[in-house]
Amino acid sequence: MDTQKQTTRLLDAVLFREIWKAMKVTFKHMFHRPMTFQYPREKRTIPDAHRGALGLLRYDNGQERCVGCDLCEAACPSRCIKVISEEDKSLPLQRYATEFYIDITKCVFCGYCVEACPVNALAMTKMYEYSTHDKRTLMFDKQRLYEIGEKHLEDAKKYLYAHNQEQDDEESRAYRYHFPQPIGKTGASGS
Amino acid sequence: MGLKPVTTPDTEAATIVLNIDGETVTAKEGVSLYDVISSMGKIVPAMCYHYTFDPFGSCGMCLVLQEGKKSPVRSCTAKAAEGMVIRTDGEDLFAARKKAVEKHLSVHPLDCPVCDADGHCELQDMAFEHQVTNLANAKQKNIPEDTRSLVLDFNMNRCIACGECINICKDVQRIDALQFMKKGGFTQVVAKGDHALDCEFCGDCLAVCPVGAITNKFSKYVYKPWQLRKTTTTCTYCGDGCQMYVETKDTEVVRVTSPLSWKNKWGDRGDTVNGHGGLCVRGRFGFQFIDSKDRLKEPLVRNETGLVPTPWIEALDVTAGRLKDIKSRYGSEAIAGLITARCTNEELYVFQRFMRTVLGTNNLDSSARYGHMNFVRAAHHALGINRTMNTSADLTKAKAVLVVGANVTETNPVASLRVKAAIGTYRASVIVVDSMQTNLARLASHPVMVKPGSEGTFVKGLVKSALEQDLIDPDATAQAPEALSALKAAAQAVSLDAVAAETGIPVETIQEAARIFAEAPRSVILCGEGIVRQPDGYNHTLSLVDLAWVTGKLNKPGCGINTFTEEGNEQGAVDMGVAPEFLPGPVSYAQAEARQKFSEAWGATLPDAQSGQSLVEILADCRAGKIKALYLVGENPLGTLPKSFGVEEALSHLELLICQDPFLTETAQYAHVVFPACTFAEKDGTVTNQEGMVQFLRPALDPLGESALDWHIMVGLANGMGHSLPYEDTQDIQAEIRKVLPGYYNLGEPRPVVADAGAYLRNGYADSVRARYANGRTQESGRPYGLKLIQLIYHSGKLSTKASGLMDISPNTGALRMSLEECERLGLAEGGRVRVTSDQGSLELGVQADVNVLPGTCAFPEHFNEPPVKDLVRVAVDPVTRVPYFKSARVTIEKI
Repeated sequence: MDTQKQTTRLLDAVLFREIWKAMKVTFKHMFHRPMTFQYPREKRTIPDAHRGALGLLRYDNGQERCVGCDLCEAACPSRCIKVISEEDKSLPLQRYATEFYIDITKCVFCGYCVEACPVNALAMTKMYEYSTHDKRTLMFDKQRLYEIGEKHLEDAKKYLYAHNQEQDDEESRAYRYHFPQPIGKTGASGS
Repeated sequence: MGLKPVTTPDTEAATIVLNIDGETVTAKEGVSLYDVISSMGKIVPAMCYHYTFDPFGSCGMCLVLQEGKKSPVRSCTAKAAEGMVIRTDGEDLFAARKKAVEKHLSVHPLDCPVCDADGHCELQDMAFEHQVTNLANAKQKNIPEDTRSLVLDFNMNRCIACGECINICKDVQRIDALQFMKKGGFTQVVAKGDHALDCEFCGDCLAVCPVGAITNKFSKYVYKPWQLRKTTTTCTYCGDGCQMYVETKDTEVVRVTSPLSWKNKWGDRGDTVNGHGGLCVRGRFGFQFIDSKDRLKEPLVRNETGLVPTPWIEALDVTAGRLKDIKSRYGSEAIAGLITARCTNEELYVFQRFMRTVLGTNNLDSSARYGHMNFVRAAHHALGINRTMNTSADLTKAKAVLVVGANVTETNPVASLRVKAAIGTYRASVIVVDSMQTNLARLASHPVMVKPGSEGTFVKGLVKSALEQDLIDPDATAQAPEALSALKAAAQAVSLDAVAAETGIPVETIQEAARIFAEAPRSVILCGEGIVRQPDGYNHTLSLVDLAWVTGKLNKPGCGINTFTEEGNEQGAVDMGVAPEFLPGPVSYAQAEARQKFSEAWGATLPDAQSGQSLVEILADCRAGKIKALYLVGENPLGTLPKSFGVEEALSHLELLICQDPFLTETAQYAHVVFPACTFAEKDGTVTNQEGMVQFLRPALDPLGESALDWHIMVGLANGMGHSLPYEDTQDIQAEIRKVLPGYYNLGEPRPVVADAGAYLRNGYADSVRARYANGRTQESGRPYGLKLIQLIYHSGKLSTKASGLMDISPNTGALRMSLEECERLGLAEGGRVRVTSDQGSLELGVQADVNVLPGTCAFPEHFNEPPVKDLVRVAVDPVTRVPYFKSARVTIEKI
């Protein structure tokens, strides 16, 4: 038994068998499709229904969709949204959000806010790269949210489509809220 | 409609028995079926019902099934009748109600996200409750929004035509400013005549609107109900002490709402005798001063460059040091203090204790001195009580109300609704004696418009007339026959013809008024600023006591003499002893027993029993250089009193002027030290309303910036002077008040008072009454017009001028208000200018026509001093109560 064992060990040493064994794995991988994405040089395709960073959207004419109704804040389970609204001074009787904050560090990406939004002003995008050295920048304000919405407009629309919220631009107009005109505008007697 | 038996309180309605959902119920005949059902605790949905007015029956929700009838009936407009068998629940009724909701929703815009009523909307709740999910044939009205009013926006797309706004305005407010109008194919609510809404802006229509058809302009689109924190507190604008909800978001006040709302629609109509839960324009729309940008945020101490922000510790140290120095150099008598009656009871209590024990002076006074003290002193002297005698229920159910010189719809709008209910619902005879065409005078059965300043003379005329017509109550006068004969003898000096000449009222009217007052089973007197703030206010109040006494209206249930107070806690200021003549209670300052009790409780000796100066003397002593340090808490004498009174000079003689105020007032600009104080919305404590109810203030916000509670500052100053006042929070002060004034809080219920005129009538009455009635006529000056400084409903003192909402509604027009006839007579078209001259000086200003002003009179709001009309008035001082009178003058008016 001892001699046989010693012979095997000798042969292993002379023929570098263990090296070959290891190389087998290496060579096998040369013909195998790589599993690892070379992030950040390479990026994964993300499904349309993906719940990424939130963005605010505008209509085609550049008008803000958001009417500051605060339903997203009410729907948010992690209470990361804050909306402050006001009457638009330049357009009487139009309601809009003067400030809009999403604390993305608190966000649980449930998408309820998007579902709650009556005018489809909020949408989730495929954006997920917002790591930072300064945590304060993770409080997305209105400007940042509109920037995200603008940059990822196509993704946002696809998100709404994937979640059966709206189909196309035509339908987005159907959701649009038309504010009443003040009585003074159409004549003092208000015909 | 007169469906409710409560509208005829003198006749008892028959009791009937009916069956509701298998239960046997007894009810009063004639009551609405809906009321009977809700009194069982069952809730049947209804969108147009509110207990404060008669059922309207437009929403179609309150359907119930009556045995023997095929289709459901509307329970609100159906009268309960003997033997009815009613079913209130069931699938068929649910379906019928659902149909009603769908009918409303089919023409209702689905704009909930932008609607201010979202989350506080009855239609929304009903749609949810009845599971309305799909609407066929929905159509839009596309009506433009009526934004013409200054306060309210009317979005008639959302209106469900429930009529609650119109009904509350008509039945409760008795203003009738709204109406239905068919316009553009839809029934819409519009202001009367389809103009911009111009009313008292009490906002009750806003409160009862179950949808978002009426919205508040001052908080339009800035909130959703779920974002707001609601704090129940008490309004301190006037003495009504209305409960209100201050709704805040972070550090700002978003809106103020009232207990009156479509949400609490169930109640007994009879309960409205204790108030309907609404607010007035000041309470509802005058909240902006609370988080105003002008608020003081840190203490200011004067150095060579002016008032500079200073840390609290340093400011308190400097002030305490200087107070100590003045006390040691000139003695305690050289220090005085004034406090506003908008402070809480606790602060008023600490103030007087601080003044009396730490500073050792009895020179202290409150703003109750400006008028309320006349009533209190007269009632204290004659009747042994210190406040009004009646509850609001007494006032509502009175058969005759004598309103003398009290423009209550302007000064105390919510309390005035009790008089309006007496007129409208309970059919009382109301005699309004005033020198203005007040709102109440328009509704009253007997408006008596006297010449300016002659209200007191009219009261004397009433006494004389009551004696002449033998309207004397034998029971009441039997106890003091000498007093009666003394009064009769004194009244010889009064001739009705002279009274008629002076007041401009025919003798028959005086006789009739006296008859109505004396013959009614329940008669209430309500006097106001036209008596207590006019010369001889104290004596006129005593004349009212005479009138009530001889006609037997002093001790009968439901009768009495009342006044309403201007500032929130004037009654509390009196009760807490913030006056040189009173200790807390109030008891007379000179009373040895009380002095003993309080000096033991406070562990200090009180200032001398004879010492103590009131407001007028304090300012006079400042002028004379006798008072060196003045501590003002929320008071602004420079802004309040006319220039001729020399306040400016008085302040310039001071070595130390301490102002404690939320704002940098005119007086504070002269101060050496200014402490930033809190407003009522940041305070914790209690206030006492004119009825004697002690009600709570609860903090809705944290103190703004570094501002502090008034009593905190006083305790800080006391510490700085080496005396510790043993208070750490408001409860400590309340505990002490409970100890020294047992039963004061009385669980928020007014403590009943019993007027006892016996001692007054037996001791010295005969001498004083002769002097009172012998008072000759006020000497005629050559000036033909009476100038009145009036209060506006939209304002209260100077405080409301800091509320931007109220300033939007009622800005300072800077114009003299005159009647149309006078304007025409003087050839003054709107916008003309006049020169007004009094003995004190003359002034040029614009003129505006005002339907409330009588010919021969002109008026200017006392809240504004630009142009300085107030300075035309001379200050007269009451010889007994030392109340300064500066609300009227004689003037000449020339067109320029």
